[in-house]
Amino acid sequence: MKLMTQVTASVTYFAVACLALPAALLAADTTTPPAKVVAITGGKLLTVSHGTIENGVLILADGKIAAVGTARDVKIPKGAEIVDAKGLTIYPGLIDPESNFGLTEISADAMTSDLAERSDEIMPHMHVADAFHSETELIPVARLNGVTNAVVAPASDDSIAGQDIFIQLYGSRQQMMLATDVALAMNYGAEQRRRGNPQGGKTTYPSTRMGLITELRQTFLDTQDYMAKRDAAAKKPDSSFKRDLKFEALIPYLKGERPVVIGVYESYDVETIMHLAQEFHLKVILNHVTHTQEVLDEIAAWKVPVIIGSIYDAPRANERYDAVYTLPAELAKRGVTVAIASADGGGPVSSHSARNLPYAAGFAVAYGLPYDDALKAITLNVAQMFGFGDKLGSLDVGKMANVVLANGDPLDVRTDVKQVYIQGVAVPMVSRQTQLRDEYTR
Amino acid sequence: MGSLRRMLLSPQFPPVILTLVAVATCTTLGRAQQSAPTDIVFRGATVMTASNGTIEHGVVWVHAGKIAGVGATVSAPSSATIVDATGLWLTPGIIDPHSHSALDGDVNEATSPVTPSMHMIDAFDNRSADLYRALAGGVTTELLLHGSANMIGGQAVVIKNKFGLDRDAMLFPNAPGSIKFASGENPKRVYGSRDQLPSTRMGNFEVMRMAFEDAKHYMADWDAYDAKVKKGDKDAVPPKRDLKLEALADVLRGKLFVQIHCYRADEFLTEEDIAKDYGYKIRAFHHALEMYKVAPEIAADGTAIATFTDWWGFKDEARDAIPWNAVMSMRQGVRVALKSDSDDHIRRLNVEAGKMIHYGGATEDEAIRMVTLNPAWIIGVDDRTGSIDVGKDADLVLWNHDPLSTYARAMKVYIDGDLFFDASLPGWGTTHFNGVMHEGGGFGSDDDEGDGQ
Repeated sequence: MKLMTQVTASVTYFAVACLALPAALLAADTTTPPAKVVAITGGKLLTVSHGTIENGVLILADGKIAAVGTARDVKIPKGAEIVDAKGLTIYPGLIDPESNFGLTEISADAMTSDLAERSDEIMPHMHVADAFHSETELIPVARLNGVTNAVVAPASDDSIAGQDIFIQLYGSRQQMMLATDVALAMNYGAEQRRRGNPQGGKTTYPSTRMGLITELRQTFLDTQDYMAKRDAAAKKPDSSFKRDLKFEALIPYLKGERPVVIGVYESYDVETIMHLAQEFHLKVILNHVTHTQEVLDEIAAWKVPVIIGSIYDAPRANERYDAVYTLPAELAKRGVTVAIASADGGGPVSSHSARNLPYAAGFAVAYGLPYDDALKAITLNVAQMFGFGDKLGSLDVGKMANVVLANGDPLDVRTDVKQVYIQGVAVPMVSRQTQLRDEYTR
Repeated sequence: MGSLRRMLLSPQFPPVILTLVAVATCTTLGRAQQSAPTDIVFRGATVMTASNGTIEHGVVWVHAGKIAGVGATVSAPSSATIVDATGLWLTPGIIDPHSHSALDGDVNEATSPVTPSMHMIDAFDNRSADLYRALAGGVTTELLLHGSANMIGGQAVVIKNKFGLDRDAMLFPNAPGSIKFASGENPKRVYGSRDQLPSTRMGNFEVMRMAFEDAKHYMADWDAYDAKVKKGDKDAVPPKRDLKLEALADVLRGKLFVQIHCYRADEFLTEEDIAKDYGYKIRAFHHALEMYKVAPEIAADGTAIATFTDWWGFKDEARDAIPWNAVMSMRQGVRVALKSDSDDHIRRLNVEAGKMIHYGGATEDEAIRMVTLNPAWIIGVDDRTGSIDVGKDADLVLWNHDPLSTYARAMKVYIDGDLFFDASLPGWGTTHFNGVMHEGGGFGSDDDEGDGQ
């Protein structure tokens, strides 16, 4: 109940919504959210898909968006719980295109890490779904700043690191995993040459970029060979055929049915890995690309979507200070579909900072990305890249009711998120951090 | 501020039109050799003074590198160079009280837990690209600290970020000396992994006490010698000079500001106890992520903090970090600064300050002070820089948006009245730098290499 008093005291005009909290708290561990109709009225709606609506009305029913429009156009259903959002800005829940939620807890404590299987570079049969720790403290922390969904990917150690999941940041473990094995996490560049030893000493294959690419090409060829044998065995039962989980895992990606997210940083590495991807007709999403300033036109010509992260990666010595900051704007200008990830600069991805996702998008605005593109880069574009374009990412009828109410511009660091709805449930605005705050507030 | 807020909240806020008039010396590369104009007047900006609130459409007059006037009007000479700053924001230069930039990774002399005679100036690389990137983020002063591998690390160097000038010209003149202490996981890990003392917090603090006992003994030897000389004893033999013990003696004599890396509430209390036992003051706790738990106790001792805004969970001792720490501690009377400890975050400390409005409701004044005047106090240069006040160094930043918003870019950065960065220039935007920048090396954090990881 401490939570209740804290919320109601600080946000008086939100009193009506707060009445919903006990129900929401109870719902946390049940399988179905309450089938309730909520009308959010009087606020500014950033729909992402069809502009801004002042004095808008948003109806949430059965976990979905039932209506969206102006006060004049939308009729409030009888019995709906009214949430007065006057003075607030309302926008779709933010989606982080690359996170490690549930794969790490305390970065320095290796025993809390399930980030990457380093025994081999080719690990497509590693499923993030198997390791996902849904009770991680990182999730409520990010959720409080309006992040409602995320892609969870393994760390970047391996050429093929495993398969991602697409989650929502609330509910039971099963509810949270909206989809498993949604994309294949690939990486290419200096980091994956880890078996090489520049100082001499023990070196095993693959220790160079040549080795990495050859190993990948052989793996894809072997998978195609496996697919042929598998198809043959399906037609004519053959007891000598044995299922191979590694190859099985690669099949949907070699068929182009699901996307391959390729983490790569340098211009020349992007060109190399894209040639390989095209050779095998992979459905590519490029990731990172923070040092590809020389090949932006090429990237645009490939017509692949791009995740930029971290926008805070340091430029090279002798580059202008904003060489990376301007990348989202430069790509968008060339017609590339851009998503922005929450990763901090200067180190590996850590989703402890995922709550700063909207600020990374705002930073891209400061360096030339149009505001609407920036908001899309952390909502609709991400949803579309990972097959959720019809379910998430904008305030449209029929989509999941993942909605954020804030006291201002979502991309501004000064803005305070007041309430988050996930599938229509008013999520308790509580994390271990707010509990500590309240415990020590004198 | 109301209209500004509305503008920022608009999904398509209008681009700010920069009316940058005639800083005549700033349009060609040749100007690098020219000296700054004696008198500069910034006109029309929203002036955030950090000491006396915000002045809308304010005027700031710089004379000979110092602030000579600030207000609605000033009485500057007509010969002054006018900078039309209409639609822009003017703040004091950003000050980072915890940086490891420009040291090429030479952050920790992690070969002994007590290394007070190390001087960071010996590793200072004034051509590091990290200095340039910080300058482009409005950073004008930095405290370059030893890392946190050792209980008693080395002595810091204070720089003015006059990127492009030679090494000596970048030192903050007559800045007080600071020394870095550390406790907790880093020294435990570094020495524990070698089966050496200290591998626990018990060992951490006893190592410090033993070092100060050595220093007291050394000081007593010198006192005895000085007394003999005073008495006219011509045969008195001076003790051997020991750089390590002299540095520790300087701590006990109060000649060095003590800057302590630690995270947990219990460590703040233990450190204060040890400081009282040996008679020195602690200037600031750095990181200090649990200060919100014991803020009144520490406020009473007058120790400030230099903290992260919202980093947490990267190690066990950062598990209880909360983003409200800074404002909660401030409300309990602790002087609070934000710091980078990172070559990344140093480029956007103004935005970090903006988060304090969100996390705990700091006023804009309080937030801007956390990256200007308060870090200046921690370094001991608050009488010279850190606010826009008459008589202070003209370390100033012009921003295209409210500097506490996500959207702010530093457009011009002045140090001692001289322009060092101008975003409107092609290339780097630097006005004094020529040649080749050096890669910084590492991420510029306490945990950087040399730490025994």
